[in-house]
Amino acid sequence: MMLLLPLLIPLVGAAVLLGFGTNGRARLLALVVGGVEIVAVLRVVLAVYSSGPVRFGRYLRADELSAFFLLNVALISGLVLVYSLDYLRHVEGERFSSARWFHAFLFFFVFTMVGVCLSSNLGLLWIMMEATTLASALLVGFYNTRGAVEAGWKYLIVCTVGIAFALFGTIVLYLAAIKSGLSPETALDWTALMAAFPRLGSDIPLLKLAFVFVVVGYGTKVGFVPMHSWLPDAHAEAPSPISALLSGVLLNCAMYTLLRYDAIISRATGTNFSHTLLLVFGVLSVVVAGLLIVVQRDLKRLLAYSSIEHMGIVAIGVGLGGTLGLYGALLHTFNHSIGKTLLFFAAGNVRQNFGTLRMDRIGGLARSLPKTALALALGSVAIVGLPPFSLFVSEFAILSEAFAQSRLLVATLFLVTLSVVFGGMLHHLFGMFFRESKRSPAATHMALSEAVPIAIAAAGLVWFGVHIPAGFKALIDRAIAVL
Amino acid sequence: MDLVQLAAGKTFSSSAVFLLLTVLLLAAARRVSTAIILFSLQSAIITAQVMATAYTEKSAEAWVVAAMVFALKVVAIPSALLWLVERLKSPRAIQPSISSAKAVFVAALMILLSYTVVQPYARESRVPEDALAAAVALILTGAFLMVSQRKAIMQIVGLLVLENGIFLAALTTTFGMPLVIEIGVFFDLLMGIFIMGVFAFRIRDTFEHLDVTKLRRLRG
Repeated sequence: MMLLLPLLIPLVGAAVLLGFGTNGRARLLALVVGGVEIVAVLRVVLAVYSSGPVRFGRYLRADELSAFFLLNVALISGLVLVYSLDYLRHVEGERFSSARWFHAFLFFFVFTMVGVCLSSNLGLLWIMMEATTLASALLVGFYNTRGAVEAGWKYLIVCTVGIAFALFGTIVLYLAAIKSGLSPETALDWTALMAAFPRLGSDIPLLKLAFVFVVVGYGTKVGFVPMHSWLPDAHAEAPSPISALLSGVLLNCAMYTLLRYDAIISRATGTNFSHTLLLVFGVLSVVVAGLLIVVQRDLKRLLAYSSIEHMGIVAIGVGLGGTLGLYGALLHTFNHSIGKTLLFFAAGNVRQNFGTLRMDRIGGLARSLPKTALALALGSVAIVGLPPFSLFVSEFAILSEAFAQSRLLVATLFLVTLSVVFGGMLHHLFGMFFRESKRSPAATHMALSEAVPIAIAAAGLVWFGVHIPAGFKALIDRAIAVL
Repeated sequence: MDLVQLAAGKTFSSSAVFLLLTVLLLAAARRVSTAIILFSLQSAIITAQVMATAYTEKSAEAWVVAAMVFALKVVAIPSALLWLVERLKSPRAIQPSISSAKAVFVAALMILLSYTVVQPYARESRVPEDALAAAVALILTGAFLMVSQRKAIMQIVGLLVLENGIFLAALTTTFGMPLVIEIGVFFDLLMGIFIMGVFAFRIRDTFEHLDVTKLRRLRG
């Protein structure tokens, strides 16, 4: 029952919003429902940490790994909810594009991502992953401009095709499980598959085939190069709070599904195959996205490519494996989501005040919007991995693992790209901060509901960079133990 | 031998031929409505296959799945798409980026490819080879339709054909997934079509045409 609540609350909330809410009341209603939802999710997290995995029925289950990602979902959705309160003030009411619809779709989106974390059945996991695309497509196309409609359509089509491959992979895994003697009811259950590893290893080619399709499929949603084509468009055209949610939570949820599959496959066939595949996609994503960052012109596209790069870093961590690699990877998903949320919020402020995100048209930020500029600077310094910010810690852990395994090629590519990204980001930022600009911002507004989430995210980046709380460290260690 | 049993067995093997026929016709289709009706026909053949499986495997769940496939893919989705075509009033003729003759040739090559891919596996594990090859052919042509067609609705049809292929692959290799999961997948499909329909209207309203190749503002 405890597991059912975080799924029911957003659905009921969305229904109430669409049924009774007016655009005026929508924000207050959304805040209340969102608050209740966060409490419900945190209750599950606490229960898992105090007394181990929780199960509800045949299809829902939360263990330490799900709890870690649920914490991520709750935190970022909460920040996004508060930030979007004031952000939507200029939106006129259109069908599917009003404050009411925005919050309703936001709740559907949260429902699907919580569902991903709570699915114990890999079939249900697929259904929820596909639902994340459907729930967020109209949010990506929210502004209804040419760019937004195009980005939404591209997102919908590319991800649906990608996810279709993941369905095929799921079916192949199901076939392998049935052949190794599991019953049809348990053949897609994660715990049953993890327990069945000696038998499951009887048909290794089939398992490998399944994993290839799953990596390509869910990898599309993670944003691995070369399946990433939807990602920069969707992140750039969506309203900024939604960009933060896509980058900070959705990509992590997709990575979470790959972690689950990787655990099954590497237990049955040895870590070599699945880890190498993740390593290849990871390095490719880091290098390609890292180089593309340098040539970007739009601030949010820049941030989107940076997300691809960071998901690549996480994949490298998982691909290297080992305690330090996995620890770094999990910590990095969390740190990246906070850093990228901060950056997208700051970019949202730039857009609202300047009316553009073209970096060559933005100048003198340091003087005209000092608070936003500070947030942008802090976020960027953190995201390129400088100490004392949290992303440095997780990148350092992954890099140490690479050196410990003497994977010099991976480590070198990783380091070289990081320095290229560092140079590229600084170049773009310096221009926006200090360049003499012909146009000045139309407004210099920052509402309290925008300032607070930005401050919280910034504080998180510094805090986790200086000192990771012992409780949080234990959370990650126990999540790794599940794999 | 029971006559119905025999018919069920024959349905499974011979329907693959009809499926391959729909694949070739889809590649040659010049009008969106033709393609939609072909998809409906294709789904009807798959319904027959599910019913044959339900009969031979004596599975009550499979009967439910057959009813759902019929209701959704043969009736509901094609009618919705036809309604969409009518409402959008787009000029009906498809302007594919390659000619019909070439498209049919590519589809034929894909069928050949499918047979070569599944042959070793089908022999080893006693899965009906024709049905599995047809499934792979559907997946390939679905993907091919999506990249070669310009109309938004034709991309939706391509996606549906691809999904049909995956469904058929599951059916031939494992007699389908558990019922709850199948229902979830169908629900996603229905929602997906709905959202895509909303986008089709938006593309028409903001671009005044449905040609997705004109969606070229965002690059890189």
